[in-house]
Amino acid sequence: MASRGGGRGRGRGQLTFNMEAVGIGKGDALPPPTLQPSPLFPVSLFTPFPDSHVILADYMILGSSQTIIKSLWEAEPLEFRPVPLPSGEEGEYVLALKQELRGAMRQLPYFIRPAVPKRDVERYSDKYQMSGPIDNAIDWNPDWRRLPRELKIRVRKLQKERITILLPKRPPKTSEDKEETIQKLETLEKKEEEVTSEEDEEKEEEEEKEEEEEEEYDEEEHEEETDYIMSYFDNGEDFGGDSDDNMDEAIY
Amino acid sequence: MCMDQTALRLPSTMTQAEIKLCSLLLQEHFGEIVEKIGVHLIRTGSQPLRVIAHDTGTSLDQVKKALCVLVQHNLVSYQVHKRGVVEYEAQCSRVLRMLRYPRYIYTTKTLYSDTGELIVEELLLNGKLTMSAVVKKVADRLTETMEDGKTMDYAEVSNTFVRLADTHFVQRCPSVPTTENSDPGPPPPAPTLVINEKDMYLVPKLSLIGKGKRRRSSDEDAAGEPKAKRPKHTTDNKEPIPDDGIYWQANLDRFHQHFRDQAIVSAVANRMDQTSSEIVRTMLRMSEITTSSSAPFTQPLSSNEIFRSLPVGYNIAKQVLDQYLTLLADDPLQFVGKSGDSGGGMYVISILTSDFLRVRQPVLFGSRCARIFRLVLQKKHLEQKQVEDFAMIPAKEAKDMLYKMLSENFISLQEIPKTPDHAPSRTFYLYTVNILSAARMLLHRCYKSIANLIERRQFETKENKRLLEKSQRVEAIIASMQATGAEEAQLQEIEEMITAPERQQLETLKRNVNKLDASEIQVDETIFLLESYIECTMKRL
Repeated sequence: MASRGGGRGRGRGQLTFNMEAVGIGKGDALPPPTLQPSPLFPVSLFTPFPDSHVILADYMILGSSQTIIKSLWEAEPLEFRPVPLPSGEEGEYVLALKQELRGAMRQLPYFIRPAVPKRDVERYSDKYQMSGPIDNAIDWNPDWRRLPRELKIRVRKLQKERITILLPKRPPKTSEDKEETIQKLETLEKKEEEVTSEEDEEKEEEEEKEEEEEEEYDEEEHEEETDYIMSYFDNGEDFGGDSDDNMDEAIY
Repeated sequence: MCMDQTALRLPSTMTQAEIKLCSLLLQEHFGEIVEKIGVHLIRTGSQPLRVIAHDTGTSLDQVKKALCVLVQHNLVSYQVHKRGVVEYEAQCSRVLRMLRYPRYIYTTKTLYSDTGELIVEELLLNGKLTMSAVVKKVADRLTETMEDGKTMDYAEVSNTFVRLADTHFVQRCPSVPTTENSDPGPPPPAPTLVINEKDMYLVPKLSLIGKGKRRRSSDEDAAGEPKAKRPKHTTDNKEPIPDDGIYWQANLDRFHQHFRDQAIVSAVANRMDQTSSEIVRTMLRMSEITTSSSAPFTQPLSSNEIFRSLPVGYNIAKQVLDQYLTLLADDPLQFVGKSGDSGGGMYVISILTSDFLRVRQPVLFGSRCARIFRLVLQKKHLEQKQVEDFAMIPAKEAKDMLYKMLSENFISLQEIPKTPDHAPSRTFYLYTVNILSAARMLLHRCYKSIANLIERRQFETKENKRLLEKSQRVEAIIASMQATGAEEAQLQEIEEMITAPERQQLETLKRNVNKLDASEIQVDETIFLLESYIECTMKRL
């Protein structure tokens, strides 16, 4: 109760520790009070190079490692230069390698792109654009013996549809060989074989053959619909970019 | 002696910064879907397939795809639990290694030239491969770069592969155990992969005969073959591969050991001279395979052995060698320690050296702070006044710096009470450095830095996406026009499609991206040093 009174009693202004031990002598000016949060990025003192781009890049690098410092510096500027970046033959090579790897990894089948959202209107060019692997199958062949069986994706969609409609159209056995050789041309077929689960193979082997034939029959039909080979298709994005003076090519 | 692929069921102990970095890396290399699954597993620990799909709101198929990729790249492992449930667990630290891929590949290049470089690159890009697959891919790639008419022989690539295996830079993956056919019952939901330690570097006896193919020639083959030849083509695919089921991966630990050795040698070279560093390098090379990757000390080596193993060009007398060794052992940094006198003195290299930490101080606080830090580190405990005196820095500045470092937790205060009542006025306050915590803190900061660098780079690229696409299109047009023999004037016109300010912008972008990439590489070096240090120290405790 004696201490109540807002610190006007005895002992006002006394600290629990010896100020000198901490290093603040009597009469020393204390640093000014902090009225606002410290700036996100301290101002740099070092003289800029003539090339202003360099500073910008340096700031970015400094900023990235400095912005996380919650310092008591207030507005105190940096006193030092950042460590020089690796340069020279080794540095350049590793840098180029890194960028190359980044690009390469995007092209590998391990890079899974999210499904392209359906656009509002079905467009003619959609038929020509190579969308991802069919039916969510994966593009590459892992060694399924090493993976849990549950990870195998079964391709069923197309097959189910075909069975009901096209069963009566079973072609005779003799032409199966011919069909099989045509099958090999289709990469789609290869994928279907691989992706289908092992369990089903024994039971549905015959069914599968039929389905694939129907499918591939369908593929041929599908192909005949289009008069133009896919790789020749130009969806007109470059239109206007080509030189107009060249009248040798007809413009479609 | 069997090392199972056991997954510890520990809750995730990764910091937010690490998780964020993992997320960025996964997204850059494998896309958003894999990133989502991967990060989820890192956060939550071990989970079965359906739970992952449910919790992340992704379709089952997508989850399966993502898991296939992650397992292939050794980033996720699985384990069969009772009732046949398979659980998947992510290896977060392995994800962070993706930052270091360029360094691994470059190191192999310096040791085993282009062939070795490509072997390791293929292994890293594909996660794991059979030896025959690697040899074929690398031979094809090398053939592409050779002059017309020349091809790369499989045998040469195989030789390099064997050398990599012998020096442990590549190792076998655990494989499916061969079970007898009489095993009744349904096959297990997932195989349990095992590997025998002595088989890890055993190269299968293959006689790979062949030469690399250029892409052009294989295209011609495909087009030119008439239908009758088709069945022959398919039988090629069905041919049994001699090393079927034996997969190889890059041995990252071995690379880390190499980096460590390099760092030690260069530190010695900086501190002393070339000859000492050569001696140290010899000692390290001798203990390359006998020392496990995280041991704090090498096996003791006698000076006689060292003398015998010095590289041929170095003719120094035995006494001179002994002198050098003594000098190294006496050095306060304790790179080399003497541990016994048999065989002319046994010497040991201490992998543990806090020199690494000191190097990083100037970057953050300035060289004066570094001086203070080093001082406190050396003397273990110092009072305020002593700091000022020893460092020869005016009191005010010294105070300032000490408090700065204190606020960042590089330095801590230790209280030593003079009296039992711990009265502040009668207590010693000493500054001390707790290296382990300082190292951890610095490491955490590094993770944040790299995450920031990557994000900034992605931002820069996105901002200029339109411009980048335009320039790529223009380049493609130019290339195709050149191929069809267009005139100079036409090419000129196309090039002018990109205006001068746009060109400037592209230049700036390229320069910035390069700087950011280079910084990432540099920070990763620091991360490596800090992680090694922490790992070694933890083993010692």
